[in-house]
Amino acid sequence: MAYQLYRNTTLGNSLQESLDELIQITPQLALQVLLQFDKAINSALAQRVRNRVNFRGSLNTYRFCDNVWTFVLNDVEFREVTELIKVDKVKIVACDGKNTGSNTTE
Amino acid sequence: MDEERTDLELYLDQCFAQDDLAPPRLPLLSPVVPDDVYMPNSSNPKMVFNSHLEEVKETPGHFSSVDLSFLPDELTQENKDQSVIRSKHEIEENCKTQSQQSRLSLPREQDIGLGLIGSSSLLNSHSHLYPADADSVQPSLEKPNSMPLVSITPMTPMTPVSECSGIVPQLQNIVSTVNLACKLDLKKIALHAKNAEYNPKRFAAVIMRIREPRTTALIFSSGKMVCTGAKSEEQSRLAARKYARVVQKLGFPARFLDFKIQNMVGSCDVRFAISLEGLVLTHQQFSSYEPELFPGLIYRMVKPRIVLLIFVSGKVVLTGAKERSEIYEAFENIYPILKGFKKA
Repeated sequence: MAYQLYRNTTLGNSLQESLDELIQITPQLALQVLLQFDKAINSALAQRVRNRVNFRGSLNTYRFCDNVWTFVLNDVEFREVTELIKVDKVKIVACDGKNTGSNTTE
Repeated sequence: MDEERTDLELYLDQCFAQDDLAPPRLPLLSPVVPDDVYMPNSSNPKMVFNSHLEEVKETPGHFSSVDLSFLPDELTQENKDQSVIRSKHEIEENCKTQSQQSRLSLPREQDIGLGLIGSSSLLNSHSHLYPADADSVQPSLEKPNSMPLVSITPMTPMTPVSECSGIVPQLQNIVSTVNLACKLDLKKIALHAKNAEYNPKRFAAVIMRIREPRTTALIFSSGKMVCTGAKSEEQSRLAARKYARVVQKLGFPARFLDFKIQNMVGSCDVRFAISLEGLVLTHQQFSSYEPELFPGLIYRMVKPRIVLLIFVSGKVVLTGAKERSEIYEAFENIYPILKGFKKA
């Protein structure tokens, strides 16, 4: 069963809103679409994503419960070869990746 | 603590004034100067006498007991027990404030049960009267005008002033426990508290940290908590209280029962290289040294019951103490031994 972690992302939220707008589809069908989305996004991130981003900041808080890490960092710099992004606050929610490690940022 | 001392002194002053026990002032034979210097009765009476000339003149009629062997066994036995311990605070302080204050106010120290070697029987008898004091630890700087009970009979080899180390071990870690006295829902705590980890598959407690004082706490569902990482006793207690407040704010009826310091760790540097091989040869009943296993010599001191890790570089780690004074005492005990094994 793939993580439902990615439903609360820009992509996942857009999908959920679209499904809500499609009144003609049954809720059961909408749920199936979302489950398929979960599988698709998990495998895409695991297999098709190759680039690497580094980030550095100061840790404000951390939490580990139900095998999920939640971090709040302050004054973070996201650094990719091409560009640099600075952010005051970032929340990171991370689930255990079996092989590669997967995480998402909001 | 101050009040205790002065009350005690006043009492003792009265007692000594009433007592007939003091023989007329004998030529001063080795009063302790400073406290940890014990000269044999017959040696250097003049030197000792001269060094204490002033005090002698100021305080006539005070005790200068010489030979305690006539005393009943019980009291002399206490002598021996006390003689094994040394007041390390005393020694430190005495190193700084020497002859003037040394022998005087012995009664106070005796009653505190800090071993002055060859302490007079009278002092021991006072320790009978004040058994509680015998267990309390903190010696104070001795006042020059207090009772100059002079104790003579040296029970252990004389240690000259120069052996006082002048080094104070620094506390590095304090481990303490406290009972919050209520069952806790660890998952709720882990979800709502900041800086908490909870992985019940690996360990059945929430691991929480705070930044000031920088400590880590293990919080168990029974309501018991372990607090580690503080650098002083007060900090440990303060940190434990902060954790209790966090738990309380989450809605649990937390209390703060039975706070107890379980372990204290200190470290210091003697600033010379040590021959561990020699040390393990002569102190084999206390030491274990396996350089292939661990580069430090593990010295298990009997009194106080402290474990010391002694390294070739001269760094020493002391652990196993329940009180700060045990660390200091253990270091003052080991320092002369280490000096004897200084590497050429």
